[in-house]
Amino acid sequence: MSTAISVGKPSWWRSEFFLVGVLLLEIAIFSRTGSNFATAINALEIVRLSAEIGLLAVWMTPVVLTGGIDLSVGSLLGLCAVCFGKLWRDAGLPWPVAAAATLVLGALGGGLNAMLITRLRLPPLIVTLGSLSLFRGLAEAITRGVDNFTGFPSGFLDWGQGYLVGGIPAQAPVWIAVAAGVIVLVHYTVFGRALRAIGHSPEGARYAGIAVNRCVAWVYVLSGTAAGLAALVYVARVGQAKADAGTGYELLAITAVVLGGTSIFGGTGSVWGTLLGVASLAVLRNGLQLSDQPGELAGILTGVLLLGALSAEVGFKKFSARRRASVTLASSNSPS
Amino acid sequence: MKRFGRELSVTASLLVLLAVLAVTAPAFFGKQQLLATLTAAAPVLVVACGMTLVILVRQIDISVGSQFAVCSIIAGLMARAGYPMVLVVPASIATGALLGAFNGWLVAALGLPSIVVTLATFVSWRETLRWVREGEFVKDLPDRFQWLGMGQSAGQGVILAVAALVFALLVYGLGWIALGRRVYAVGSDREAARLAGIRPGRVTWGAFVVLGALVGLAAVLNAIRFADVDPKTGTGLEMQVIAGVVVGGVAVSGGRGTLWGVLAGVLLLACISPALVFLKLPPQWEKAIQGGIILVAVAADRGGRSRLS
Repeated sequence: MSTAISVGKPSWWRSEFFLVGVLLLEIAIFSRTGSNFATAINALEIVRLSAEIGLLAVWMTPVVLTGGIDLSVGSLLGLCAVCFGKLWRDAGLPWPVAAAATLVLGALGGGLNAMLITRLRLPPLIVTLGSLSLFRGLAEAITRGVDNFTGFPSGFLDWGQGYLVGGIPAQAPVWIAVAAGVIVLVHYTVFGRALRAIGHSPEGARYAGIAVNRCVAWVYVLSGTAAGLAALVYVARVGQAKADAGTGYELLAITAVVLGGTSIFGGTGSVWGTLLGVASLAVLRNGLQLSDQPGELAGILTGVLLLGALSAEVGFKKFSARRRASVTLASSNSPS
Repeated sequence: MKRFGRELSVTASLLVLLAVLAVTAPAFFGKQQLLATLTAAAPVLVVACGMTLVILVRQIDISVGSQFAVCSIIAGLMARAGYPMVLVVPASIATGALLGAFNGWLVAALGLPSIVVTLATFVSWRETLRWVREGEFVKDLPDRFQWLGMGQSAGQGVILAVAALVFALLVYGLGWIALGRRVYAVGSDREAARLAGIRPGRVTWGAFVVLGALVGLAAVLNAIRFADVDPKTGTGLEMQVIAGVVVGGVAVSGGRGTLWGVLAGVLLLACISPALVFLKLPPQWEKAIQGGIILVAVAADRGGRSRLS
């Protein structure tokens, strides 16, 4: 789109600033309007509620960095949740084994996307649109649309409902560990650097000696695995697994990523931004709930926030590009 | 042959499916059943025609399902308030065009990525509707609303005729009018189109407006099939429509694809759900099969092309 503008990103403008501002504003407002909003218990509750979307969103970040997109994560979450229930209840596997199998299933689902995208060089949008339908359809077919898996053992449910010392929700360590892992992977490794290079120009990355297909394939496999992990966290939290688990989560995850300043065309972005995006969405939802506002308002404001963040960024870039252009014009006109 | 490869392969798949059905379940071709299948597909086709324009200019619109719901509810409310259908239909179309113009403005004038813009409007319109209507159906519609008060068979005829007319107009417009060729030009190479004197921003904006207007029309075509208007109508429509367009061979990279392919793609996907019933397969498999078809169609196309080139 606006290629000329997006290249020259002024160093001090970060979309993270915008999000920190939004987050502070949200906290300031909801501390006034919400009952029991500004408490430590609620803060930890927000961490619990944001875990699934957060897991999907932090792994969506590398996907978007390569210039791709993964629309299938929400459906894959549903499929993994249902298969976990099936393996545990009907196949009679102990839950840790079923959980491990679920992660493998997630990786396989991501692998299917990866294969179609890298081997056949199909656009990720189309591939994952197809697998979105496929995975959700398989989940519905397995459960015949009605089956609901419940009654999971307490050893498993503790991972989603229990507390560690100091009232820390049990899923927090998993969530934080994964987020930290992705931050290291994306920001401090050669692999992460390769992803940006691919996002800027796949062809250029290939000439620079990057195994483009292998990198891209890994990103989708890991995104699928994250969907498997998110499925486990989800089932442990709500205590049931239905075919419609995680419907629309892909859009929430993408929203968090884009809010966090990652360019949807790839190449630039940060996991820190995504974390802020996840936080601002989770705080918004939680705060509105505690302020007795209708849940629909959260959705509307999410949309407004998304457009606001993008417009602010584009507007700022245009402004600074114009200023830079006038500076160069003036200096080239001056007699030397 | 190679040029229309995808159109031919999709049509072939459709014919195979129809042939299988002809052998195993001739009841599928009963007049009533066929009409029901086609009238259900007609609104999807109308939206898919508009989506084709948007995808041809290298954009995408995820918000069509939410626009569809807004237009349906407005049409229902106006009809209940006593407005004649000759006013209800233009109002629905205008609402859609307005929503499309908003998306188009954000994309064309501000240069925001369309997938994100329409993701935001997708959520916002749907949630606004839920907030305002609280999930309430629009009931007690006047008699002139359902099937336009003409009875089922005449109403179905009108729906099919309107869809066919829209399709024919757009085929003509895209193929034989300068404006239509500009859509392809902008989609293939925006900069080259600009140098050729086309304003890419306007064409892009126009594609979104046309899509919105067609969504408004499709909303009416869909709503008059029922006795009341469901506020959840259009949920998942965006996926159905984009899938139909893509299976029909329109490239998401812009500038390539024809409406004939889209017609075959939409019909193919529309036949799956009734086909499952007639082949006595559990209906829960519909989505899985739909997804499978999308993947196989795009993969087969790509596989075939790389072998040729």
